Amino acid sequence: MARNAATVAVPAAPQPRSDIGEGYWQIAWKRLRKHRLAMAGLFVIFLLVAVAVSAPWIAPYRFEEIDLLNRFAKPFIAGHALGTDDLGHDVLTRLLYAGRISLLVGFAAALSAVALGTMVGVVAGFYGGMIDNILMRLTDIVLTLPLFGVLLLLGRYFGGGVLPIVIIIGAFGWTVAARLVRGEILRLKSLDYTDAARALGASETRIIFRHLLPNAMAPIIVAATLDVGGAILIEAALSYFGVGIQPPTPSWGNMLQNAQSYLWSSPLLAFWPGAMIFLTVLCFNFFGDGLRDALDPRLKV
Amino acid sequence: MAAPKLPCLRTSDVQRYILRRILQMIPIALGISILMFTLLTLAPGDPVDLLISTDPRVRPEDVARLKRIYGLDQPIHIRYVKWLGRTLQGDLGWSRTYKERVTDLMKDRIANSLWLTITAFFLALLVAVPVGIYSALKQYSFWDYLATTFTFFGVSIPVFWFAIMTIYLFAVWHPWTAWPPLAWLALPPGGISTPGVGSGLPFLLDRLKYMLAPSVVLALLSMATYTRYTRSSMLEVIRQDYVRTARAKGLAEGTVINKHALRNALIPLVTIVALSISGLFAGAPVTETVFAWPGVGRLLVDSVLGGDYVVAQAVLMFLAVLVLIFNLVADIGYALLDPRIRYD
Repeated sequence: MARNAATVAVPAAPQPRSDIGEGYWQIAWKRLRKHRLAMAGLFVIFLLVAVAVSAPWIAPYRFEEIDLLNRFAKPFIAGHALGTDDLGHDVLTRLLYAGRISLLVGFAAALSAVALGTMVGVVAGFYGGMIDNILMRLTDIVLTLPLFGVLLLLGRYFGGGVLPIVIIIGAFGWTVAARLVRGEILRLKSLDYTDAARALGASETRIIFRHLLPNAMAPIIVAATLDVGGAILIEAALSYFGVGIQPPTPSWGNMLQNAQSYLWSSPLLAFWPGAMIFLTVLCFNFFGDGLRDALDPRLKV
Repeated sequence: MAAPKLPCLRTSDVQRYILRRILQMIPIALGISILMFTLLTLAPGDPVDLLISTDPRVRPEDVARLKRIYGLDQPIHIRYVKWLGRTLQGDLGWSRTYKERVTDLMKDRIANSLWLTITAFFLALLVAVPVGIYSALKQYSFWDYLATTFTFFGVSIPVFWFAIMTIYLFAVWHPWTAWPPLAWLALPPGGISTPGVGSGLPFLLDRLKYMLAPSVVLALLSMATYTRYTRSSMLEVIRQDYVRTARAKGLAEGTVINKHALRNALIPLVTIVALSISGLFAGAPVTETVFAWPGVGRLLVDSVLGGDYVVAQAVLMFLAVLVLIFNLVADIGYALLDPRIRYD
């Protein structure tokens, strides 16, 4: 039973002491390193983030720069490695800048969704009773909403910039994390060490932040990782339908929307942005899956 | 809570469980309708505002008059109650953009969507269950890795991009049509049927041609999800003691797998499948829009983007109710199939 590894070791010790053997995070890291797909995913994610962050320095052009004489240029023609689009934008440059937006939205939306979900889950799980009932019925309602339609609607009112899109995705994406965290808190709350902490006179805040949350961290981290991929997909879909990130700011979704009209003449224009979305989301899913196996082997599937 | 048994009403545990689940659905459905009505009503630009923006001759007093006629000047809770009353009587209103009763509009669109959804559903199931079982029985084999990688691809691929690439490959490029035996494999880029195709077999063949690409695209995500669940559920079951017992008493491997393992492994799958049928409907907007398939999903996208909120509200509510119904079906199916489940 691999479960023993997690309970015997000191859970979530901020500074693992060498005299008590390996800590939980060290064991998890060892397991993760053996997971080839997860490590490959992590590597590509690092690469994508590095490229996105350094886009202003490594991009061959400015993203709004137009080469009117070379519209629809084929790859490697006229100094454009991946060609140009209908306005003569350099496709490679725009892919790099779009990556900044997509990754930013992905990270920020996943973080806010999971933070919100954790808050709801902790409050519902810890306090129980009426509060729990209300919060969980609210979760049921949000889970039942036709998410795509609601996001499309909200995107139409408030969309356009990065912040509104992050808020919209975060505001409707917290339910899964909330259920997960609530379950964990309910389980941890009934364990002896929580009773011991309470018997020693620990305050509610201390019990939540020192004893419950650190031990519920594994599923939270896994959910956050998988949510990044999900958020990137949603942002791309919204931008594809014209209610996400608005041009001239490039995002993979709006590049694809634009390229769709030229599918007959320049199919590669549509290929690249989608391939980037696919690659990014795939890597987050590979990494998230490996992370789940490494952090908590009980959480299979 | 142990309810006192009424001697006159011989309801079984299962029946009581189903009844309770139906009663629990009502407040959730009401909550969803309130949330969605509020969202759509607080939306900037009610129908009359949209009317003015297209006609500069409309004066402010006309606006006030029109708003009074349509009841748009009333407070939101009154409007909600009125809307709810009409909806419960089956009157979903009138579409401003389609110039049609929303119920009639929905009827056609649902029929079109069903073609796609049902095909995609069976396609997903027929591929996923055998692949999932095989992958579990041959864990860590090459085919298992291949299937697992495929499930990752299925959940990571952006549907709209996959759809566009499919259109390019099968409707624009199709290099294989140069080879005569494959000359027929050029698919239409979108739509639902060739105009004037007639009826009977030609109609069915024509419909099939139009359905092929969108149903595969729509099925992919469910296919990946089902495969994953079948595999993990099968893996769990074949480690159980009763499977070892079956083997130990000398049963043939086929009997062990089919009779003892598979039946138990499929129980959790029933839940996932029932839950995801509504997901197929909800996932259809993207596929239907890219392939120009006139279904409910595309109606949702068009009505939201076109500001026809009467239609949008109807479609959103329809999808939400669908989710609730299939959640119920999943719960009931699980309760009926698994005798270990407790009815509380």
